[in-house]
Amino acid sequence: MAINLHRRHFLGLAGASAGAAALAACGGPSTAGTPAATGAAEIDFSGVKPAASFDFWTNHPGKSQDVEQSVIDKFHAKFPDIKVNLVTAGANYEEIAQKFQTSQAAKSALPGLVVLSDVWWFRYFTNGNIIPLDGLIKQLDIKVDDFQKSLVADYQYAGKQWALPYGRSTPLFYYNKDHFKAAGLPDRAPKTWQEFGDWAPKLKASSGAQYAYIYPALAGYAGWTLQNNLWGWGGSWSDGWTVTCDSAESVAALQWAQDSIYKDKWAGVSSKEAADDFAAGITSTTISSTGSLLGVLKSAKFNVGVGYLPGGPKAESGVCPTGGAGLGIPSGVSKEVQLAAATFLKFMTEPENTAAFSAATGYMPTRMSADMGAVLAKTPQIKTAMDQLAVTRVQDNARVFLPGADQEMAKAAAAILTQQGDVKATMAGLKTTLEGIYTKDVKPKLKS
Amino acid sequence: MTRLLTDRPPAVAEAGKASPRRPRWSGRTRRDFFVFLALALPNLALIAVFTYLPLINNIYYSTLDWTLGSASATVVGLGNYITFFTSPDAANVLGTTAVFTLVTVGGSMALGLLVALALNSKVRGTTFARSAVFAPYVLSGVGVGLVWLFIFDPGYGVLAWLLRGIGQQSPQWINDPQLSLVMVILVYVWKNLGYCAVVFLAGLQSLPQDVMEAAALDGANGFRRFVNMSLPLLSPTTFFLLITTMLSSLQAFDLIRIMTPLGNGTSTLIYEAYLQAFGAFNRAGYSAAISVVLFAILLIITVLQLRFVERKVHYS
Repeated sequence: MAINLHRRHFLGLAGASAGAAALAACGGPSTAGTPAATGAAEIDFSGVKPAASFDFWTNHPGKSQDVEQSVIDKFHAKFPDIKVNLVTAGANYEEIAQKFQTSQAAKSALPGLVVLSDVWWFRYFTNGNIIPLDGLIKQLDIKVDDFQKSLVADYQYAGKQWALPYGRSTPLFYYNKDHFKAAGLPDRAPKTWQEFGDWAPKLKASSGAQYAYIYPALAGYAGWTLQNNLWGWGGSWSDGWTVTCDSAESVAALQWAQDSIYKDKWAGVSSKEAADDFAAGITSTTISSTGSLLGVLKSAKFNVGVGYLPGGPKAESGVCPTGGAGLGIPSGVSKEVQLAAATFLKFMTEPENTAAFSAATGYMPTRMSADMGAVLAKTPQIKTAMDQLAVTRVQDNARVFLPGADQEMAKAAAAILTQQGDVKATMAGLKTTLEGIYTKDVKPKLKS
Repeated sequence: MTRLLTDRPPAVAEAGKASPRRPRWSGRTRRDFFVFLALALPNLALIAVFTYLPLINNIYYSTLDWTLGSASATVVGLGNYITFFTSPDAANVLGTTAVFTLVTVGGSMALGLLVALALNSKVRGTTFARSAVFAPYVLSGVGVGLVWLFIFDPGYGVLAWLLRGIGQQSPQWINDPQLSLVMVILVYVWKNLGYCAVVFLAGLQSLPQDVMEAAALDGANGFRRFVNMSLPLLSPTTFFLLITTMLSSLQAFDLIRIMTPLGNGTSTLIYEAYLQAFGAFNRAGYSAAISVVLFAILLIITVLQLRFVERKVHYS
């Protein structure tokens, strides 16, 4: 095992190492300085001809592969010179983001159009990965005024439009009508969590289900649905860029949630997918995305009721966040591809196509003029989601704009809801983490 | 190459002086050398491009503050290493890595040896049993993870159903970080003990039977023969398994990714590196630094094992 390192060998190794280091420095990112993300220039598409084909990366939100393909087929009939390649780029928003970010790093194989979720688009914006759509909206005459205003506003930053809404959802309160009837409860969702707290013991006693209510799986966007609890108690993850998850109101909201599991013993936490647990009869109620609605209606062997999210002691309305995904156009592809993708984006979000997408998935129609008559006749529960849109609230910055914040919120929720951790201390720790993320990963990129 | 041309034995060197125009390489030597180059160079090139170049690239990236997907980065020198080792996450991640590695290596080897001893007995059905024990090792980690996830599901999993049958609630295997680690370790050991069992079985079957029979004739009972003869004679097998299982355990990924995607309680070094770069954070430079730490640990363990553990191995 003895190694005799002679001077000549050492010099050779040193030379090889220096060469390798120089070679390594040739690849990867530029180290000339980190540019701020707020100054994206308008792109001029005049005189540009759409590309003959481009890739559309999607995770088929709400099991939408068939309806996506049927819209693409209609597009091909209307625009035979542009071919859209439907690419399954992941099983969920995180996997599609992983593939997109990796392609950005590799500087190759980028799509023309990509599905981006509420927590990812801002990161693409700060990294300069997507283009503002304003020029394309004007050139292609996309009727932005006809989109649901709150959904379009979700993708506006620095005075520009960075994406358009696609598979958009809100959480819904799902309840087992049969269990409610057996418990002698009214056939509606509770108005507040306090009201449900009164109902829950009766519900659990009479239903035979494991839980009266199950909290959504912590790995499945816990930070999204828990905003309902926080807002109802007058708390929040953040107020603007100020992290407020450790405020007295936020702590009280999560303390109540913890008590429902450990003290009152009528609630549990889903391990994988709360909608599946609900459909399987494990719980009498839950909160899940509107995108789960059709799946629940199909698989549940009982009468399913849906309603608005319950309020709390401080707020009975305006306690429902929007969510879901939009469509964006990468900056790393040619103008021709960007124009072709925008042409398809316009077609995909036409009123009749958004209605078809909504009918197939349960996601909300993104256009106000979409004719939902046939859809609502078949699935009247979608109306609840549509009506609830009027009382939704824009999500907290900390959840949607801080990289990794959703994961940190899920870990904190796990400590509180599955390990009975001290709520105040856990939230104080979360605040420190979130502030660190803001200071390190976001603030420097927001400087103009 | 330098050695070939200049470090010739004295006799050859003298012969070279006696006839200066004689070619320094004979035709056969040159032909052999070109054959060597033809065979070795493609492999060396592949190793250089796909192993060493990424390794060097990774070390370079570990000195950058780089968000994956961003075209620009800032040079921070050892900043990522300092951040890692001064954060509370470092203790958690290193602790989880140590627990996962020690328990899975120890568990797989101990249980593998017991299974090998059982399979080494001359009873009916051992061929089927060997196949059954080895089968999980060749199964896809993704498939195994999904099936076991269903078994462990506290809501409608098989385990929960069995526990309800005796009036017990299922533990929160998936949501509780500590139980998540237990769950992943159990499945990892189940999947890998077949590999240890088969290798130990091969070792047991190659033990010199005459020596074992002589010991039996001298009155040594089965336990004494196992402790004082079989185990020492199995030391090359044990040493081989110790290295291979430890390296694979430190690099375990698929089960952790499938069963605990957030890595809550199961974030080993390699999974933390993945989460930091390709999960929600996109901290590519920080992730590269964690990968370099993992590389250093693997290198140190391997060198220590080769230098110290191997001395205690009986090869004959």
